[in-house]
Amino acid sequence: MHRHPHSLKSLTAVVLLAAAAFAQPVSAAEPPPLSYEDDKVAMRLVLRNQEQLAGFYLGREFGAAAVDKILETCFFAAIIYNKSYDVLWLDLDHWQFQRDELTIPRLKRDYWKEQWRAIGLPQRHQSTFGWTLLPETRDLRRDESAGGNVAIPMQPEPFTLTARFHTGPNRQGPVKTIVFEDVTCPRDVQ
Amino acid sequence: MSARRPMKLLFAMLLTLLAGPVLAAQELPAGILPLDGQAAPPLRLENLDGETWDIEQVRGRWVFVHFWASWCGPCRKEMPTIQAIHEQLDPQQMEFAVINTAESEDMVFTFLGTVAPDLNPLMDTDGLVTERWQPRGLPATYLVDPEGRLRYLALGGRPWDAAEYKSFLQHLTAE
Repeated sequence: MHRHPHSLKSLTAVVLLAAAAFAQPVSAAEPPPLSYEDDKVAMRLVLRNQEQLAGFYLGREFGAAAVDKILETCFFAAIIYNKSYDVLWLDLDHWQFQRDELTIPRLKRDYWKEQWRAIGLPQRHQSTFGWTLLPETRDLRRDESAGGNVAIPMQPEPFTLTARFHTGPNRQGPVKTIVFEDVTCPRDVQ
Repeated sequence: MSARRPMKLLFAMLLTLLAGPVLAAQELPAGILPLDGQAAPPLRLENLDGETWDIEQVRGRWVFVHFWASWCGPCRKEMPTIQAIHEQLDPQQMEFAVINTAESEDMVFTFLGTVAPDLNPLMDTDGLVTERWQPRGLPATYLVDPEGRLRYLALGGRPWDAAEYKSFLQHLTAE
């Protein structure tokens, strides 16, 4: 790193404070994560409140219009860790969101592209946003994890997420199903 | 003797291959995937000083191509280990391309100035180079061989300063 080498030390205190702030974007107010674990897979959902979500993206210079688009949705993080020796397939199209027997459509990447086009979100922010989403599909190897955000339309009541994972190099192994019930969309914390 | 000699020769050739820079999957540290050796995508970016770096200009050396962003937790954890291994490897043997994905100069300067001040970050300002390389996520590290071929991919963040990773990189660059 070559820019302003002499100013590095003088910046240290400020930098440490800033780094600490960014390293811990989730405050103590964060609700406990929904989690599942067995000997082959671990999965958890992280539901940050809207203030925390807004803080993350505003801190990365996203405009208010972009943050509003995110907060209009039910936006939460999922983290999956493959502990098995087999390939675990993350295919978001095999995840089902339901409430009162109603299937809730997931908001896919095309939805976000359209939102960003409508508000003219700069390409670099679109790129960053894309990397904060959970991959649409991924062949998780042993000891590999994938994490990122998933979005559905805002729900007034809790919903159920049924996450199905194919296994095996060619998706021909047993299907692993993990169900999270009573998932509540993040809302403002009063 | 005539029947055994070709076998010995074959065995010797096999040993030579195994000892070469491309290791079999079972010999690799956890989370390192062998790739098929296709040509690496173009990689030409500017650093924070506005100087252009091009992977074509470092042919003949292994290249540690690393994609990261400061908002990514595993990236933050991994970066000090990259700084550590960067200090320990011969720069004539391995080049480091540490590519920030779509963040501002201030963000990169602030973060790296604290945890990895010796690394020279390349700025993928709009994120399009990262997308062309199609990493499986952030962080991601590709190891590109001296002929410019993709040889290994590290899945997620890895403790590069740990003994097994360090010796793996040293093995590559020793060839």
